[in-house]
Amino acid sequence: MGKTQIVKKKEKVRPGAWQIILIAGFLFYMFIPIISTYLFSVATRWDRTILPEGYTLEFYGKTFEASYFLSSLRNSIILSVSTIFVSLVLIVPTTYWVHVRLPQAKPILDMLMILPFGIPTVVLALALVQVYNPTPLGHSPVLLIGAVFIYSMPFMYRPISNALNAIDAQTLTEAGQSLGATTGQVLLKVIIPNIFAGIISGSLLVFATVFAEFTLTKLILGARFKTFPLLLVEYTRINGNIAAAFSVISFTIAWLVSILILWVGKKSQGASAEAVRSH
Amino acid sequence: MDKKSKNQRLAGAKNWLGFVPFLLFCFAFEFVPIIFLFRGSFIDKATKGFTLNHYAAMGKAIYINSFLNSVKISGLTAVIGVIFGTLIGYAIYRLPSERFRNALISLSDVTTNFSGAPLAFAFVIILGMNGVITQFLIKYFNYQLYPDFSIYSFSGLVLAYVYFQLPLMVLIIIPAFVGIKKQWQESAESLGANTLQFWWHIGIPVLAPSLIAGLTLLFANAFGAYATAYTLVESQLSLVTLQIGYMIAGEVRHDPGIGMVMAIISLLIMGLSIAIYQISTTRVRRWSK
Amino acid sequence: MSYLELRNVFKTFANVTAVRDFTLDIDKGTLVSFLGPSGCGKTTTLRMIAGFETPDGGTIELDSEDITQVVPNKRDIGMVFQAYALFPNMTVRQNVAFGLKMKNTPKDQMDKRIDEVLEMVRLSETAKRYPHQLSGGQQQRIALARALAVQPRVLLLDEPLSALDAEVRVVLRGEIRRIQSELAITTVYVTHDQEEALSISDKVVVMEGGVIQQVGTPEEIYRAPQTRFVATFIGTANQFFGKVQDKQHVLVDELSLEVENLEGCAAGQQVVVLVRPEYIQVTTQKPERSGCNIVSGVVETITFHGAVTRLGVNANNQRIVADINVSETEPIGLNQKVWLLFGSNACKVMAVDK
Repeated sequence: MGKTQIVKKKEKVRPGAWQIILIAGFLFYMFIPIISTYLFSVATRWDRTILPEGYTLEFYGKTFEASYFLSSLRNSIILSVSTIFVSLVLIVPTTYWVHVRLPQAKPILDMLMILPFGIPTVVLALALVQVYNPTPLGHSPVLLIGAVFIYSMPFMYRPISNALNAIDAQTLTEAGQSLGATTGQVLLKVIIPNIFAGIISGSLLVFATVFAEFTLTKLILGARFKTFPLLLVEYTRINGNIAAAFSVISFTIAWLVSILILWVGKKSQGASAEAVRSH
Repeated sequence: MDKKSKNQRLAGAKNWLGFVPFLLFCFAFEFVPIIFLFRGSFIDKATKGFTLNHYAAMGKAIYINSFLNSVKISGLTAVIGVIFGTLIGYAIYRLPSERFRNALISLSDVTTNFSGAPLAFAFVIILGMNGVITQFLIKYFNYQLYPDFSIYSFSGLVLAYVYFQLPLMVLIIIPAFVGIKKQWQESAESLGANTLQFWWHIGIPVLAPSLIAGLTLLFANAFGAYATAYTLVESQLSLVTLQIGYMIAGEVRHDPGIGMVMAIISLLIMGLSIAIYQISTTRVRRWSK
Repeated sequence: MSYLELRNVFKTFANVTAVRDFTLDIDKGTLVSFLGPSGCGKTTTLRMIAGFETPDGGTIELDSEDITQVVPNKRDIGMVFQAYALFPNMTVRQNVAFGLKMKNTPKDQMDKRIDEVLEMVRLSETAKRYPHQLSGGQQQRIALARALAVQPRVLLLDEPLSALDAEVRVVLRGEIRRIQSELAITTVYVTHDQEEALSISDKVVVMEGGVIQQVGTPEEIYRAPQTRFVATFIGTANQFFGKVQDKQHVLVDELSLEVENLEGCAAGQQVVVLVRPEYIQVTTQKPERSGCNIVSGVVETITFHGAVTRLGVNANNQRIVADINVSETEPIGLNQKVWLLFGSNACKVMAVDK
């Protein structure tokens, strides 16, 4: 029994070669397209050489000259902000209500929030167009906002639901009510301040998603309501350099929103850790 | 006694009222349109009567092809994404530096959402006719990518899709690796198993639901994608989502009933994927209790 | 010759010494527990016996065979972890079978053995269930069965009960002891719970700061602590700091305490006198007795502990706790003046380390 003696290898602390190769390959794949787009947007000419022949900012100047540039930015912002507004008004109270008053409906809500992942955006667009085009809602921004809301609601729901779980909304509500507050007062004065980081994260995610939304906008409103992604696609067929400058704007907004989300997440974690420590 | 239960029922009904506004919104912009879509797929446009002609029309080569292409690209990029995403996820999970690990996870979070026109165009910049990598290969390896390869083709679209599939899989699989408890490995070892036996009997079976969840989610992710394909291969490759898009925009003269049938079939394929995804993640959650 | 021997075992993590100069003999068939606060090195020592950590120095011998460098899966050692260590993808039966399968046990022997150990932990009916369908206590029983199935040379238990409810803990520790004595399997049991250690062990090893403080039977550990750490960590002890006066007295502030065993202590030496609360008698009238130490004070707290009631008494700003049996004493109220009596034999004197 146990006569074989096998010497145990010392455990490695430094990453192995296989790890470095895989991660380097991953970074290469993730960064090369983005870096190239950034370079292309400031390159004078870049079709014969490895690196651009010269650098210029003229294409950024030209983006402002591009017709529809400012109006498309404005349209994208209008669409994003209205969707965030509708999401906040509908999803925050509903999620809270289900968490505290209607826990038996939680599985239904969870399912409703996964469903949009199972509906291709083109199918949603087709369905909405078929039903609403003969009505006054057809070809209207309201229809688009409704569609974009459905498509983006999981992004608002998840951070809020997680935040409600983390603060134990049920107990906080009971505590608030035992002190004489109504459910509405508890939501406004106790719950929302405590899940604020979740609300901000959700709003930022919705912003990023809707700002980059192309399919629903194109198929529901098309040329009637040109948003930034629509303009970008248009320019990929007109002028590559300007399209690259548009892409850079689009990438940069996505990066900024992600950094903000990370920052909000860290900030709220830090705050709650502090709260625990001070007790 | 009777009164109390009536009051309770009343309170219960009142609680459900709070759920109604949201449900109404979902009905208006999600369920009712989809029910109409389903109904519409069985209605003949001219006679307004019931018909199965739209479904029968799916046998035509053009529609079969678009489904085949969609399934092929979704399946292929999902498999590539699962295999490499799992390997990369494991490499990231095993990194000693927590900061670097978190940075890579955040990077995956951002890049998995890069899709559509900006991504498609970025791939044109690097792998188009005059793209950076195309140039690089000609100059240093004397290798002509074109015309055998084209970014505006199936293989080009695969490269673009893998760009957002890979980080998505990384995000799915890292929690699964974290879920493999060190104590399982130590228990197995103290019971006489070596590392290989541990992975074969415990590690991989425990990862399996996450791998299946990843595969189905990635498949659905690619199957429903539209913007990237629209920018890159609009007229070169027939995909289901592109076909449906044409029918809405009226760019091609088709019977709308055909579009509805394609939409219903896509819904079934996606719904099935998401259902399998849900079942798998439920199992993951149950195991990690 | 003992069965499991640790000689001068030494281990550091990132320049912090986790275990130092650990030498211990464990006899075959006995249950030895490692007891100490978290971070005292007890788990590290256990993991070195299991082979999950390699000692930086010293040797570990099992049945006269040096196993210091042997990989865990060749050691023939069974281990039970704190929690969550059942394989979630396998049924109870498959979990228990795992070790036997690794040893290529023939099917009929394997089935027989599985039935035996499931019977032993009294969970035969759960064989087809999955771990997530079992309660925490049941999971730990299965973990025990799984470890025992392969008939290991040594059984190691790493805080096996600390994730469970108080009630289940008490039942299960009795079960562990019963099975251990039935099989007469050499067992090392790590815990931070003194009651657990004292109630099930043949021998207790008290550890602190990576060092063995004392090894002894539960009784020895409780009645004759050899260090101040052991005296205060196991049970409760009142501490009186003072100076040695003569061969029988220690001066604590103004009070002279009569004690025993002051041989080897020089007059003027700094010492601490330790007195357990249950050795202190409490009266409400000034006692006339002599031949024991008498301290007066005012009752500040009264806490009910079931069998006894614990009084917190302020005696010249020194807090003293004393346990009284309510049925045997006259009622005592808060702020009441009381006299505390304890004999010289209740006093344990220890030098104060600088």
